[in-house]
Amino acid sequence: MAGIFSRLSAVWHSDLALRFRRNRNAMIGSILVSLVLFVALFGGLFAPYPYDRINMAVIWEPPGAEFLMGTDALGRDVFSRILIGARISMLVAASVLAITFVIGVTLGMIAGYFGGWADTLIMRTVDIIFAFPELILAILVAAVIGTGTGTVIVALSLVWWPGIARLTRSLVLSLREEMYIDAAISSGTHPARILLRHLLPNIASPLIVRASVGVGFIVMAEATLSFLGIGVQEPTPTWGGMIRDGLDSLRTDPHLALYSSLALGITIIGFNMLGDGLRDLFDPKMGER
Amino acid sequence: MLTFIVKRVMGLVPVLLIAVILTFLANQAVPGDPIAALLSDRSGDAVLEARLRAAYGLDRPLLEQFISYIGGILSGDFGLSFRFAQMPVSQLIGEGLLITPLMALAALAIAFPLGVLLGTLAAIRQNSWVDTGIILVLVAGISIPNFAMATGLVYVFALQLRWLPVAGWGSVEQAIMPLTLLIIPTAAYIARLSRTYMLEVLRTDYIRTARAKGVPERVMLLRHALRNTMVPLLTTVGIILGGLLSGTFVVETIFNIPGLGSLAIQAIFARDYPVTMAIVLLFTAFYAGINLLVDLSYGLLDPRIRVGGGGR
Amino acid sequence: MHLNHGYAKRRRGRAFFLAAAVLGAALFAAQGADARNLKTSIPADPGQIDPITYSELVAGDILGNMYEGFTAITPEGKIRPALAESWEALPDNMGFTFKLRKGVKTHLGNEFTAEDVKATFEALLIPENKGGLNAGYLDVVEGAKDMKDGKTKTLAGVVVVDPYTVTIKFSKPDVLFPVYPFYFMDKTAMAGGAEGFLKASAGTGPFKFVKWDRGQNVTLAKHADYWGAKASVDGVEFLIVPNADTAVSMFEAKELDVVYVEQAALRRVMKTPELKELSLQAPAAQIRYLGMNQNLYAPFKDKRVREAICKSLDLDSMITGTLQGLALPLAGQITPGVAGYNASLKPIAFDAEGAKKLLAEAGFPDGKNMPPIKISSTDPNRNEILYFASQLKQVLNMPVEIEVVERGSFIKAMNAGEVPFFPWGWSAGYPDGMYFLSQVWYGPSPYNRARWKNAEFDALIEEAQKTADNEKRYALYNKAEEILVGEYGTCPTTVRIQVALQQPNVKGLALTAFRFLPFNSVSIQ
Repeated sequence: MAGIFSRLSAVWHSDLALRFRRNRNAMIGSILVSLVLFVALFGGLFAPYPYDRINMAVIWEPPGAEFLMGTDALGRDVFSRILIGARISMLVAASVLAITFVIGVTLGMIAGYFGGWADTLIMRTVDIIFAFPELILAILVAAVIGTGTGTVIVALSLVWWPGIARLTRSLVLSLREEMYIDAAISSGTHPARILLRHLLPNIASPLIVRASVGVGFIVMAEATLSFLGIGVQEPTPTWGGMIRDGLDSLRTDPHLALYSSLALGITIIGFNMLGDGLRDLFDPKMGER
Repeated sequence: MLTFIVKRVMGLVPVLLIAVILTFLANQAVPGDPIAALLSDRSGDAVLEARLRAAYGLDRPLLEQFISYIGGILSGDFGLSFRFAQMPVSQLIGEGLLITPLMALAALAIAFPLGVLLGTLAAIRQNSWVDTGIILVLVAGISIPNFAMATGLVYVFALQLRWLPVAGWGSVEQAIMPLTLLIIPTAAYIARLSRTYMLEVLRTDYIRTARAKGVPERVMLLRHALRNTMVPLLTTVGIILGGLLSGTFVVETIFNIPGLGSLAIQAIFARDYPVTMAIVLLFTAFYAGINLLVDLSYGLLDPRIRVGGGGR
Repeated sequence: MHLNHGYAKRRRGRAFFLAAAVLGAALFAAQGADARNLKTSIPADPGQIDPITYSELVAGDILGNMYEGFTAITPEGKIRPALAESWEALPDNMGFTFKLRKGVKTHLGNEFTAEDVKATFEALLIPENKGGLNAGYLDVVEGAKDMKDGKTKTLAGVVVVDPYTVTIKFSKPDVLFPVYPFYFMDKTAMAGGAEGFLKASAGTGPFKFVKWDRGQNVTLAKHADYWGAKASVDGVEFLIVPNADTAVSMFEAKELDVVYVEQAALRRVMKTPELKELSLQAPAAQIRYLGMNQNLYAPFKDKRVREAICKSLDLDSMITGTLQGLALPLAGQITPGVAGYNASLKPIAFDAEGAKKLLAEAGFPDGKNMPPIKISSTDPNRNEILYFASQLKQVLNMPVEIEVVERGSFIKAMNAGEVPFFPWGWSAGYPDGMYFLSQVWYGPSPYNRARWKNAEFDALIEEAQKTADNEKRYALYNKAEEILVGEYGTCPTTVRIQVALQQPNVKGLALTAFRFLPFNSVSIQ
């Protein structure tokens, strides 16, 4: 027991943690992000009403004691829907992150390490996807597969993995020259081992920075797709969709659009600040794109 | 030098070709039958349906449709719209073609200097309250979705103050709010980047030496620091433009601007394949073109790129 | 090397903006002196601007100002003579002889005669012209089938007796032919096809076509030689505003004179006192119903199940709720204000307990053993299906999920009888209850999307088509409606109340059950 505490204490006081705590961006960002993640994971428990409970008698109720953030056009509790919306946004973000990183890092490492035709093939594919403006590609995918949460995840993953791949590749290329890699190669270590045990840990930090900055944009993109009607469908609540519903009623019942915009804004700001903070800490050089 | 340019331009062709193939296939795979949408309430009529299918050439084999499509594009013919009975797509998008790229470029032209200015200001006064203030504004600028900002602007400036019209396109006043919505996130993004790059540049030995030599602050700032910040900034023009193009989708829808963005959204929901395909291709070509220009200018700037044969 | 690339780029950028500003200013100036046009909005580009392929509501709103039929509708919803001064039925109602109005000038300056009637009908029936809604009314005319099969280019059943008299013979009786909303065209305009109508209009109505800027507006100008009450405004501009809320905002900012308020903006209009004061209301001649296709979902075959479903819908709270009080519960399938409306029919009352009992009696106590089903509709009806689904789940525990489908494929699926469970509607094309009963519930009708069939009902409809005496015919409608409702062939839902906004200085606007009447009665002080 005491051992765990002392270890935690050691981490808390470590140089990295110290710098983290001093970095305003990182601190505020991580507070906001933790809040959002907490809500995403446990929010459902605190939701006072089922998010799809329709009640015609209380439509467009203003925020008050009974309905913390008011109700929408069908009498559904906005607060409960925002809580569930957090779960959806984080689910999409986590899925997209997981998919793009697994695919992007793997392909990037292969391209950077082995070079040759694998490199050309992978980078050509990256170029082609980069030729499309992001949202257009996402919309095209949605137009083909149809709407829904799965579509959003697939579309956004398709759009994002090339960036990760390209970043990984350049990181690997610069590391490849390092001495200890040479040593490992000459001592006959299996390439997979080299990639996983030697290269990966050393390129982790810029990738982590990239991930935290990326989440903000993924959340924004999902909200935009839902706003345009191509993303997550009813009755599942999503912040982008709620803003769309609330937009027409902004003059008479602003609470729907207002609170969902707030939730969306706080989330994206939180992730962006965290990303900035992490970048200040880990990556003194700018590793953009 | 010329070889460099030619190589780069040639590199564009396969990319565009694949873009055409992908959009063509994508539109074939789209669920929802456009002829059904065209027939609407008369869709029980099999004779009419067959006639329409023939008129639009949808009864030919896929490969034939594709080849004739490519041929058409090269001569500026994007086929006929499904939504507006037999109206040429080129006529439909013709007007939008003037509007959307113009808006995007105008927004870029204003956002760029604005962003650089803000970023530089923040960098020079790093950690002061000016810096913190600006950073907060910037973070908000890129984090709050443009559709959320839009209604606030409309409410205040169009309804309450009556300074600007609610929607539409054609006058300078009508362009102000949509442009503002495009400019804010773009300028914020550029400002953050310029601030970072500027901070880095200001720390270099080069600057320290110049200071030590007594070069006036302003001169040094303008001549050296700014220029060195510009170079990496230019490479991000591509992303910025991509963001602007997606921004136009939302902004055009909200303000009723008859540009390519709102036309594309309507076309997708109406299953108007030819229009969707044409707009996707045009956006892609525009985007690729600008990226090519940036690439070329970067190559012009940095001889190493040219000689090294392919940048990172 | 001078790295002044950034400056060059910015200078170029500024040049772009300058060009944009100049272009914008030029466009603004080019609008020229503002002839006083009536400005109103439409929610989308019309599907077409020609009366031949005309097939949808928005186009109809515009075309109704430019083209006329034998008869027209009064503000009270009654029929009055328009291009036909009088008409007489042929023996056994197998046709009509129309006496046309004299001295009517078309937009092209020609006089309107019986030849134009014949030419219009023929244009509608020639297959290559892809005739729209109006072509459907001509099926009863003798020789129509031959034209549609491409065998001939002339319509045998239409006989031009003299320039102002035309006799139309039918292959089966149809007493309502005179009230069908035809759009008669000047015969010299046919040659240009649909594109021809984009350059000039060829109607007889109070306004004529000027231009259509896609995505922006459709503009009409007043027809100086109109035979009836000439327009006091110089023209009409239909601005294309897809967003309902934006249209209301434009009205507030005085950029629009008249607005037909779409569903999404109703709440805002009703809750803003200044707007509410300026609003007009009228129930719509539009039925709304819940379609239950017995061929696709076995439980629907049982009348008790259908009754249970109808009784579990709390229409009153839906009306006070989502519809902002702007609707009435619909009792049958003919709406108030339409000839043949039965005021004594009562709407199906909400009865949760009764519904549960019925369902249990039918063998599905508490929803057990019911296969899952989807209730589908298009995006604008999203809230409606969400509501129905939740009611059915709550009251009956029925396993219902919602499905939002894209409009084109949805209409096709409905027409093919492939949608099991859906709320939909039907707007009256002419002011007689026959329109609803024959188009939507008559067995052989292609628009009977729920595929409900009842031999007695069909017989009554066929009888009514032969009955010229109005009172007798309405009695037949009532009987047929009673069968439809008694059998719970459908759950009638609501009659929407239309809301329109007009600026205080606009006078003479007529909002009827059939939307706006032509704008020639409108004046702007």
